[in-house]
Amino acid sequence: MVNPTPSGQTTSETMDRTHTEAATRSAAPVDATVVDTVMRIEDLDVYYGDFLAVKDVDLPFARHEITALIGPSGCGKSTVLRCLNRMNDLIPNARVEGKVFFNDRNIYDPDVDPVEVRRRVGMVFQKPNPFPKSIYENVAWGARINGFKGKRGEMDDLVERALRQAALWDEVKDKLHESGYSLSGGQQQRLCIARALAPNPEVLLMDEPASALDPIATLRIEELMLSLKNEYTIIIVTHNMQQAGRVSDRTAFFSVDVDERGQRTGKLVEFDFTDKLFTSPSQKETEDYITGRFG
Amino acid sequence: MPEIRTAFHQELEDMERTLLGVADQAEQMVQKAVEAFTTGRLDLADEVIVADESIDETYIEIHNRWMQLMARQQPLASDLRLMSMLLHVNTTLERMGDQTVNIAKLTRATDGLPRVDAIVERIQEMGDLVRAMIRTGIEAVVRRDADEARLLPAMDEPVDRLNRDMYQEVVKVGNDPRQLEWATKAMMVARALERVGDQVVDIGEQLVFLLTGERVEFNEVGLGGLPQRE
Repeated sequence: MVNPTPSGQTTSETMDRTHTEAATRSAAPVDATVVDTVMRIEDLDVYYGDFLAVKDVDLPFARHEITALIGPSGCGKSTVLRCLNRMNDLIPNARVEGKVFFNDRNIYDPDVDPVEVRRRVGMVFQKPNPFPKSIYENVAWGARINGFKGKRGEMDDLVERALRQAALWDEVKDKLHESGYSLSGGQQQRLCIARALAPNPEVLLMDEPASALDPIATLRIEELMLSLKNEYTIIIVTHNMQQAGRVSDRTAFFSVDVDERGQRTGKLVEFDFTDKLFTSPSQKETEDYITGRFG
Repeated sequence: MPEIRTAFHQELEDMERTLLGVADQAEQMVQKAVEAFTTGRLDLADEVIVADESIDETYIEIHNRWMQLMARQQPLASDLRLMSMLLHVNTTLERMGDQTVNIAKLTRATDGLPRVDAIVERIQEMGDLVRAMIRTGIEAVVRRDADEARLLPAMDEPVDRLNRDMYQEVVKVGNDPRQLEWATKAMMVARALERVGDQVVDIGEQLVFLLTGERVEFNEVGLGGLPQRE
């Protein structure tokens, strides 16, 4: 999946956030304008071969916030999410036009190392996908794959830190060397979150992270997201509008245009604070979708 | 695109229809209560008190249905704003019913006391104005008409004025203690009607919120029904 080659130093340095940005971050944003963007999509079109899957997306992501991408199937929300850490590079025929900035660096510039991008912008998938290894090794892998060469004790600390952040430590600290598969579905998903956190990313992408989990495990993941946003920026794709409502600060609603040939292309309809979008959306298309007046 | 939440939206419509029925009932109760007080008819006063029991029952029924919808449907956007309006209007109508009961009880309390014509006319006028406001409010809700809702504060002004000036009419009554007792109770009736006027204005504010998502405050704080020093 990911090339283990150590990353280029240049990429790493230029993608570091600037101190001025961090200083100007407002504690309570007063409108939907994102003051401190950690990532920003500009004029994005994504093609699969000749097929235009998503068009004209402009979207900022605020640092230390949770942004939800919602919309009906086929609206391109997962496609957009995958553009944020160049996961679309791994899909044959996928072509991305436009820019995706990460701390003011376009991650699609030719000299940017996609592996470094994926270290800084981690990802958690719909189905928990731990490796057939121990709990400890699952997390340690996340660090090693990105060039962590610390001593045994340092690695222990790193694993513990990641498992604590993923709210899993207390449940697994006495069985770190048992298989990741011995855990429940919800625990496995938190293990995957710990694995994604181990390389210390800035942004965490989550693609339907709770859709395979029961309601209690789902709420645990949501609580975890809220606790993580102090240190990370989270961007989540979810089919569950109530989930978007419970966890996100801002929501982007995507929909689908169907052309005369029946080809369906995703587009961004509305982006606003979740409070605003869920109580008084400005676009009728959003209103129709979230009130269920749209099939 | 086909509607996909028909059952939920039908339930919302049904709750709204029920509340519009209560508003209609409230208007009739205002009419009866005013007639009862201004003519001394205790049978009408009793009818108002009985009618309020059914408003109270409907209030609880609507509140229960509202809770169930919130728990089960998680409404959003205009559905959520409608839910907000329904909850608010439900409470407002229940209180409106209580104000008519106050007038009915004042009718009982003034049984046999001599009435003052000038004050009777004022109370009747206030009753007519308030009933017109209720009808306008109902129409505005049915038509989803924010402009009509915005008429309500202007309609409420003469109601407020009549209530404020009631004091002067009472002063004119003179020294007959029985007439004075009736007149002071009439001031309380005027106050109850003034409150009903404010409650209708409040429903108008809720409607504007439903239609626009904007919070508006039609009633100026601190004015309205309070007596003013000359």
